[in-house]
Amino acid sequence: MTPGGNGKRGDAVLAVQGLGKEYRLYASPRERFKSLVTGRAHYRSHWALRDVSFQLRRGECIGVIGDNGAGKSSLLKLLAGTLQPSAGTIERVGRVTAILELGAGFHPDFTGRDNLYFGGSLIGIGHDEMARLEPEIVAFCELGEALDRPVKTYSSGMAVRLAFALVTAVQPDVLIIDEALAVGDQHFQKKCVERIQAFRDNGCTILFCSHSPYHVRQLCDTALWLHQGRVMEMGETEPVLLAYETHSRLLSADAQAADDAPVPVLAASVASEAAIVSATVAGLDEEQVQEDAPLLPGPDLEVTITVRGRGDEQPHVGFMIEQTRGVGITSMVTHEEGAAPRRLPDGTWRIVLTLPELPLHSGDYVVSVYLFDHSGLVVYDQWHQFLRFRFVAPVRTPGLVRLPHHWS
Amino acid sequence: MQMMTIANELRFAWSARALVWVMVRREVASRHAGTAVGVLWPYLQPLLTVAAYYLVFDVVFSMRLGADAPTHAVGTFLVAGTLPWMAFCDAVQRGMTSLVDAGSLLHKNPLPPVLFTVRAVLASAVVYGPLLALVALAYAPLHHFRLGFWALFPLFALQVALCVLLGYLLAILAAALRDVVQVVGFSLSVGIYLTPILFPLSMFPQAWRWVLWLNPMTALVLGYQSALLQGGWPSASVWWALVVWLVLTAAVLNVVAARSRDQLVDWL
Repeated sequence: MTPGGNGKRGDAVLAVQGLGKEYRLYASPRERFKSLVTGRAHYRSHWALRDVSFQLRRGECIGVIGDNGAGKSSLLKLLAGTLQPSAGTIERVGRVTAILELGAGFHPDFTGRDNLYFGGSLIGIGHDEMARLEPEIVAFCELGEALDRPVKTYSSGMAVRLAFALVTAVQPDVLIIDEALAVGDQHFQKKCVERIQAFRDNGCTILFCSHSPYHVRQLCDTALWLHQGRVMEMGETEPVLLAYETHSRLLSADAQAADDAPVPVLAASVASEAAIVSATVAGLDEEQVQEDAPLLPGPDLEVTITVRGRGDEQPHVGFMIEQTRGVGITSMVTHEEGAAPRRLPDGTWRIVLTLPELPLHSGDYVVSVYLFDHSGLVVYDQWHQFLRFRFVAPVRTPGLVRLPHHWS
Repeated sequence: MQMMTIANELRFAWSARALVWVMVRREVASRHAGTAVGVLWPYLQPLLTVAAYYLVFDVVFSMRLGADAPTHAVGTFLVAGTLPWMAFCDAVQRGMTSLVDAGSLLHKNPLPPVLFTVRAVLASAVVYGPLLALVALAYAPLHHFRLGFWALFPLFALQVALCVLLGYLLAILAAALRDVVQVVGFSLSVGIYLTPILFPLSMFPQAWRWVLWLNPMTALVLGYQSALLQGGWPSASVWWALVVWLVLTAAVLNVVAARSRDQLVDWL
């Protein structure tokens, strides 16, 4: 067990070569049994992953993206070692910790502390080491006296807190995280993210699997796009994400075209989900957004964003301006600035964002709108680069952003 | 290459014995979590069964066996076979369901499945081992701690080994097809009549005695009876039968384990 961070940045800590995972689909368990006994197999094989190769160096953070069923979970389980590969090899260096599903494996009749020690022994933390780590874990999970109560009395959030504190008690060399970090309440979610970022700063390699381009952008230097079990693209985050998003948009456009006419019921079911309803820039007619970006008429940029929330939960909204080539200029989110959309009588939420005297130089810009949950960690919806506009600044000097300044 | 599968797995279980021991203690503890009597419960049930046999057959009815039986008191005879049989059934059944029960744990932790079977069988052994020792002490007037008495130790060790192999084999089969659990459960409840537990071997029709040897417990029970009741070292046929059973089970297990290696966790 090498604690992370003692190796040099740049050493490969995870090398995957020609990895494949075949699921054998038998017509029935009886067929499965027969093949086990006779050795002759009648099955359809489904390759959830095929020919995946990559290398991760110490301190790297890679985001795995892909549609549902693209093989993300299989890849993570193979890397974590809970599944056996059908082809290829995985070389791991040091301690690998996987946060796949938290809280599983706790015995409900035992106390939290007891489960802590047992859970620790399952992930290679012996009794003595655990005794040393215990105070820190107890402090982190904030369970207090509940730690000496049976786990069956815990809320699901408490169990997850304990599990997260346990698996991250020791800094791993490779950390594998699956999907949304929906861990406990907002306060604890923040702690989790902070801890993961601290690991990263200490040189821990992170493999992060998510549907959310927002999180991948936030955390990862590299992205891996899996499509139908194969690596579609891998490289720097932004180009890979852009390619993936283009693919997703085409896919959803196709789906929409196919679904458009017949089923009004679908619209009703979609209506219950959180989504961005509209986002308009004052003075721009977004219908005509084609080759030529429309000109922003005034000096101010005023965006009116209307969203559908989830139940009564207060949603949050983010906004981003980029150059048309996809270089981010600035972004802002309501939950970090103490703002929040207001509820309208029809149940939707609206907020108006104004950037007075838009401090940009002349050029073509593109904007995106994001819808977050209350905590700001879950991205419910995003309109990525949905609107382009041209802006003519009242200055003639070259540049990108007009920074506050004074001469003296 | 293939011959190594099972040996490798068991070697791993040995190298992780500290973890296995923690798991065993926990398994035993979990069976009585939330009860007042606590850790005694797993021991009390078999003990009370054994005590009931003794009371009913030897104290209340004083039933006697025929002349060529290893002992004459029926209860005493029954206990010598019943206790190892209960240990066997318990270990095999727990071993058989060990993987299916540990499914969610195995999906989330990179642990070799064999650990869970070993845990289940050992958790059973730490209950029945001491019970057997207790009975052995109570039988001191019969065996007088003669040489044969000490055969109990290798017998029990072989029984545990057989249960690990058989349990793991059945666990893999049960992972593939859950019906295995039902079939084995039924076989075990019938099996007691195909083992010389309720009757001395000599009372079984000579022409059909070979049927008894198709049962791995026949050899073990005969061994226990001769050690406990007479202090006699079990005959060579007992040891040979055990070795054959162990080798046979290991060979089949090896094939099945190799065939299922990649997919076992997917089935759970």
